[in-house]
Amino acid sequence: MECVVQGIIETKHVEALEILLQGLCGVHRESLRIHELCLKSVPNLGLVSSEVRLLCDLEQPEPTWTVRHIGGAMRGAGAEQISVLVRTMAESKVSKNALRLFYALGYKLDHELLRVGFAFHVQRGAQITVTVSSINKMLKLHATDEAVPVTPGIQLVEVTAPASSENYTEVVAAVSSFCEYLAPLLHLSKPGVSTGVVPTAAAAAASLMSDGGGTAL
Amino acid sequence: MAAMEGVATAGAQDQQQQPPPARAAERLNPAVQQQLNLDSVKTRAISLFKAISRILEDFDTIARTNAVPKWQDILGQFSMVNLELYNIVEDIKNVSKAFVVHPKNVNAENATILPVMLSSKLLPEMEMDDNNKREQLLHGMQSLPVAAQIEKLKTRIDMIGAACESAEKIIADARKAYFGTRQGPTLLPTIDKVQAAKIQEQENSLRSAVNHGEGLRIPGDQRQVTSSLPMHLVDVLTANDNAQTFSDSSGMYQKSTPPLLSSTNNNSQGSLLQAAGAQLIGRPAASPSGATGSTSFDNTTASPLQYANSPRSGANIMNTPSPQQQQPQQQLQQHQHQQRQKMMQLPPHQQQLLSQQQLRPSSMPGLGQNQLPQLHDMASQTQQKFQSMHGQHHVQFSQPLAAQQLQGRQLTSAAMHMSQNQLNQGNQLNRQLNQFSSPANSALFNAAQTTPTSQMIPNMSAMMPSQSILPRMQFGMSGGNRTLTPQNLSDQMFNMGAANAGGMMPMQQQQQHGTQGAFGNMPQSAQNLQPGMLPMQNTPQNHPNFQQQRPQNQQ
Repeated sequence: MECVVQGIIETKHVEALEILLQGLCGVHRESLRIHELCLKSVPNLGLVSSEVRLLCDLEQPEPTWTVRHIGGAMRGAGAEQISVLVRTMAESKVSKNALRLFYALGYKLDHELLRVGFAFHVQRGAQITVTVSSINKMLKLHATDEAVPVTPGIQLVEVTAPASSENYTEVVAAVSSFCEYLAPLLHLSKPGVSTGVVPTAAAAAASLMSDGGGTAL
Repeated sequence: MAAMEGVATAGAQDQQQQPPPARAAERLNPAVQQQLNLDSVKTRAISLFKAISRILEDFDTIARTNAVPKWQDILGQFSMVNLELYNIVEDIKNVSKAFVVHPKNVNAENATILPVMLSSKLLPEMEMDDNNKREQLLHGMQSLPVAAQIEKLKTRIDMIGAACESAEKIIADARKAYFGTRQGPTLLPTIDKVQAAKIQEQENSLRSAVNHGEGLRIPGDQRQVTSSLPMHLVDVLTANDNAQTFSDSSGMYQKSTPPLLSSTNNNSQGSLLQAAGAQLIGRPAASPSGATGSTSFDNTTASPLQYANSPRSGANIMNTPSPQQQQPQQQLQQHQHQQRQKMMQLPPHQQQLLSQQQLRPSSMPGLGQNQLPQLHDMASQTQQKFQSMHGQHHVQFSQPLAAQQLQGRQLTSAAMHMSQNQLNQGNQLNRQLNQFSSPANSALFNAAQTTPTSQMIPNMSAMMPSQSILPRMQFGMSGGNRTLTPQNLSDQMFNMGAANAGGMMPMQQQQQHGTQGAFGNMPQSAQNLQPGMLPMQNTPQNHPNFQQQRPQNQQ
């Protein structure tokens, strides 16, 4: 299971956000370049079509593959009250043969995208990962070198934390409190809910850039 | 030290209180008593002692249970205790001159430490510390008279105080400005409505792209892989290149079927060709031309060994199947070929049926030659084929049932028979298979025939049962059914796809001399099959079909 929230930020404020995150997390950023292939199974394979995502981390000299399955989100009155989406998620490292294996199983490539950005990891009540990335699409199949951003002026911010059914309330609280720190720059919400940009973003970014430019951790 | 002294004083006084309560009343100067009520001091000291011991107990519990201490609370308690102690010490200091402290209870425990506690001289290290600090402070001022030293120290203190004040002021101003911008709505720059709408629209597209893949799907006809795959995909998706070379070198008829492709594309609308490009990586749309395929088929006799379980399978069967069988087989070939081309994910059934019906007359048999691009392709194809088949012919519909019936058989004997009649039977069967089942399936079958290894036999046996009734889709389906009970037709298709995938491997490996990592069993059988395949090539009868199969298998 994981708790996840998403938000958007204008590309011009990304640097300020990076400074803020560096201050909050106390670690340096990790660059992110992930080729994500979304495979869907045809309905004949099982009762419902399932979706599996293969993530190839291109940042390392040796690309590493991860398979991830995102399940249904928690529902109910309780789920609606919390501002964080809690959903089942299974992830595992796999070898590069995973793609062929899934093709052999009958999965088809539904879509692919390329995430380019950076990520921060911090332990604040829960192991929180913040990724800020621009989502790029490939006009030609698998052409990761020729990817163009889906929305050039806006990047996606995702805050995720792994959780289990026992401790998800604490994880939710940790993620929520972490998101409050980012309030001057962006609003974060459940993946299906749109937020818009924050009016204070420009001012906050300006203050971060002017003050934080010299104070590198 | 002062605190210790204070506590010691209080403690000593507590002890003192008991014996001379009366004396205290007598002895203490009323003024002193006004200033410091000893009883109250005692009470306060005792309460302070209790508070400290409580804190210590809390720490003990925390340490024992390894719990995380609530630092906020603990700090609060500490501050209270500290304040209380400070107050007591202050009060006592005022009147300390009136009292003398002497220890009452000297036992072994106290004896060593009491002199140290009672002495007013600083401990040696403390004394050194004191001297050092004094030296630092009065550096350069030692020579001056004391008054001048005091003056200088005072100015120094004033300067420091002024600096601190200004720093605090600056921090307060900055804080006010920051919070002002954050919390003051009137001061905030409002976002332009138009801009907000634009951003909203972009946000929606971004979120839907990330979460659902909207806007990222490439239509099927554009899904042709460019010449250069990125590094991380190069070795993942390289199966096709070898297949191509092999098919070229073997010189089998591998004719691209642009008309068929275009017709399939026309029929299958955008939704159908999701993965076509991916699966056709690096290969031309090779498929046997209809004419050649049909002619070859007409010229050669169909395999008599279509039905492994039939009595025929044991003997050398040289009967040709009836032409009637050939006809529908051809149609099936075309059918399957078209299906394969499409590679749909979620094709609308009606569309498929329509397109298949349209394409059927335009004969493009020779399924075996069609691309065996990738394994997922097979699964989709078989599924498509099945769907279309299902809808269109009742006769065909009965096939899966028959296949199901035959599923459970153990066809080891059939396999042995097959091995005896490798060349002829295998070839004939291959033809049949090529026509009706996916190429992978036929490849599997061929491989099985030539060298009935233990690994292949189960596969073969799986494939055999379907042949008894009609040489149609059952071949492939039964192959898949071996492992799973076909709960429904779709399952069979899926199994066939899987079996086809498995069947492909040996052929590929034979030809390509490479190992495909996905299937563990296959490499071994592939090795075994290698010598076995060659004789089949030589047989003229086998030639068309077998060679049709080979390129398929590679791909």
